[in-house]
Amino acid sequence: MQINPIIEKDLKTKMRGWKAPTLITFYLGFLGFLIWVFFIDNIYSAYNYFDPRLMTDVFKTIASFQFGLIVLITPVLTATAISGEKERQTLDLLLCTDYSTFKIVIGKIVVSIAHVLLLITASLPILSTVFLFGGIGIIDMLRLFAFYLVTALLIASLGMLFSTIFRRSPVSIIVTYIMVLGLLYGTLILHGLYLILYQNFTGQMPQAPLYWVLYTSPAFGFASVIGTDGGGIISVFLTGTAYGRVAAFGQISPWIINTAFSIVVSILIIIFCAWKIKPVK
Amino acid sequence: MVVVSNLVKKYGKLLAVNDLSLEIEKGQIYGFVGANGAGKTTTMRIISGLLRATSGKVLVNGIDISKNPRAVKKMIGYMPDFFGVYSDLKVSEYMNFYSGLYGIPPRNRKKIIDDLLELVNLSDKRDAYVDSLSRGMKQRLCLARSLIHDPDLLILDEPASGLDPRARVEMKEILKELKSMGRTIIISSHILHELSEICTAIGIIDNGKMVVSGPVEEIMAKLSHSRRIKVKVLKGGVEPLVKCLQEEPEIGRITTGNDYVEADFNGNGEKLAGILKNIVIKGVPVISFTETGENLESIFMHVTRGNSQDADKSNN
Ligand SMILES: Nc1ncnc2c1ncn2[C@@H]1O[C@H](COP(=O)(O)OP(=O)(O)OP(=O)(O)O)[C@@H](O)[C@H]1O
Ligand SMILES: [Mg+2]
Repeated sequence: MQINPIIEKDLKTKMRGWKAPTLITFYLGFLGFLIWVFFIDNIYSAYNYFDPRLMTDVFKTIASFQFGLIVLITPVLTATAISGEKERQTLDLLLCTDYSTFKIVIGKIVVSIAHVLLLITASLPILSTVFLFGGIGIIDMLRLFAFYLVTALLIASLGMLFSTIFRRSPVSIIVTYIMVLGLLYGTLILHGLYLILYQNFTGQMPQAPLYWVLYTSPAFGFASVIGTDGGGIISVFLTGTAYGRVAAFGQISPWIINTAFSIVVSILIIIFCAWKIKPVK
Repeated sequence: MVVVSNLVKKYGKLLAVNDLSLEIEKGQIYGFVGANGAGKTTTMRIISGLLRATSGKVLVNGIDISKNPRAVKKMIGYMPDFFGVYSDLKVSEYMNFYSGLYGIPPRNRKKIIDDLLELVNLSDKRDAYVDSLSRGMKQRLCLARSLIHDPDLLILDEPASGLDPRARVEMKEILKELKSMGRTIIISSHILHELSEICTAIGIIDNGKMVVSGPVEEIMAKLSHSRRIKVKVLKGGVEPLVKCLQEEPEIGRITTGNDYVEADFNGNGEKLAGILKNIVIKGVPVISFTETGENLESIFMHVTRGNSQDADKSNN
């Protein structure tokens, strides 16, 4: 077994330029800044003593921000994967080899996941201080990071999908962002609207709400990972309030269902992309 | 080795390749000639497995490209007419990347890459960034890349396009070397003259249709049945000259100007000398007697005339 050449090349060249270090620097700088702000704001200035419960809030806020950053960064990692090859006129050179299109797609996805993994790993020293002080266990942290990666996989697959569909990279990037935001928050809004309209017309809450809509949203899944009850302005903004109201109905934790959903959808998208870019089917 | 039969490619209503058939034997250098938009690139991309034909069949070493594209791709080295390179990749890394795609084991790569870079005279550029290479160097690098898996068949789409005369000569030298190695090559150009030196067979395509195809000598003989001569004469010499020429069996179509006559001539040098002797004896005041050297280009123009205007229209 030899290493996928796409992975080998992309990891080498992307790390070599100035882009990757810049991205990591900004990413860490931003997270560091947040933590500093919350330490000052929440822990010392208000109470002048150390309160682990507040640290949990800080954890949730930081985790939400990290989630938000990953959601915002991942689309650009793959949304130009194929359209960029077309624009650069290198796609034919890839496709005229006997290398399988499936492995080409997988290679590009793995590279983008590796980027996200790098961001997470790089932030580990900063975050672990907050997490551990806040009474967050190792398992909780691993679960959180696994959820980040699965979400990144889904978003990377979506980016890949649009980069194979659209010829031009800017179009692909924009459509990917719209779809990602739609999936994360459009679903929550849709569900909220459904509840409101149902109540308006019938005067009561629906017997069988559209939970499945919520379960497709990584933002909803994320809310259940960090166990938020909708508290904290920022958590509300980033994850939506729906979780608090709905969680009671689910037998299985929403994040488990959402993780399964993301993985299945990603696999289907990857298979479709591999089929789509194959010139002679 | 390559058998293309009744190939058709439609882009919507546009018929890019129209019932094209050709056959190439092992060791042949097949020149594919045609005007812009004739359908060369389309045909070559279909043979390389990069484009699906609307109908028709392509067999490479007996394997159907539409049935087993990956087996065929393994046997083909393809160099596109336009291509890009990845930025921030060095020449050796570029070659290494494509060796990986072709599944060449890492331990064999260094020697293959060294040999190929040597072949295309880029050995000293191993560690240069691909982006920084000149156009001619990139073209040669792409040629080296297309050879990396030691393919049975090379498909080169206008490998010399956009090169300056010097780089063209260099490219031609490399192709001659490949020819001497006994490779089978399909090479396209819209300059017939450029191909006639290295090719063993030529196919002229126009508007997606094969107009003529066959061994180079045969094509040349078929096409250049008439050399063209131009005779300049003093005032009043045109008419007697035409009369003279009309008596010669080897002379074909005659056109006249104010002080000259042009005529198609079909025969050898002795016949030509004989004609000159005859017209001088008959007292035609000849100033000069030359072969206009109707070259391959004009033959090409001749063959593709009439249709090329349609081709231009459908292009625009
Ligand atoms: N992707 C495409 N979509 C629509 N029409 C196309 C496409 N590619 C090629 N064509 C048309 O097919 C015809 C043949 O094009 P092709 O590129 O094969 O010509 P060519 O012989 O390679 O010309 P050139 O010498 O300019 O490279 C042209 O009329 C062209 O406009
Ligand atoms: Mg062409």
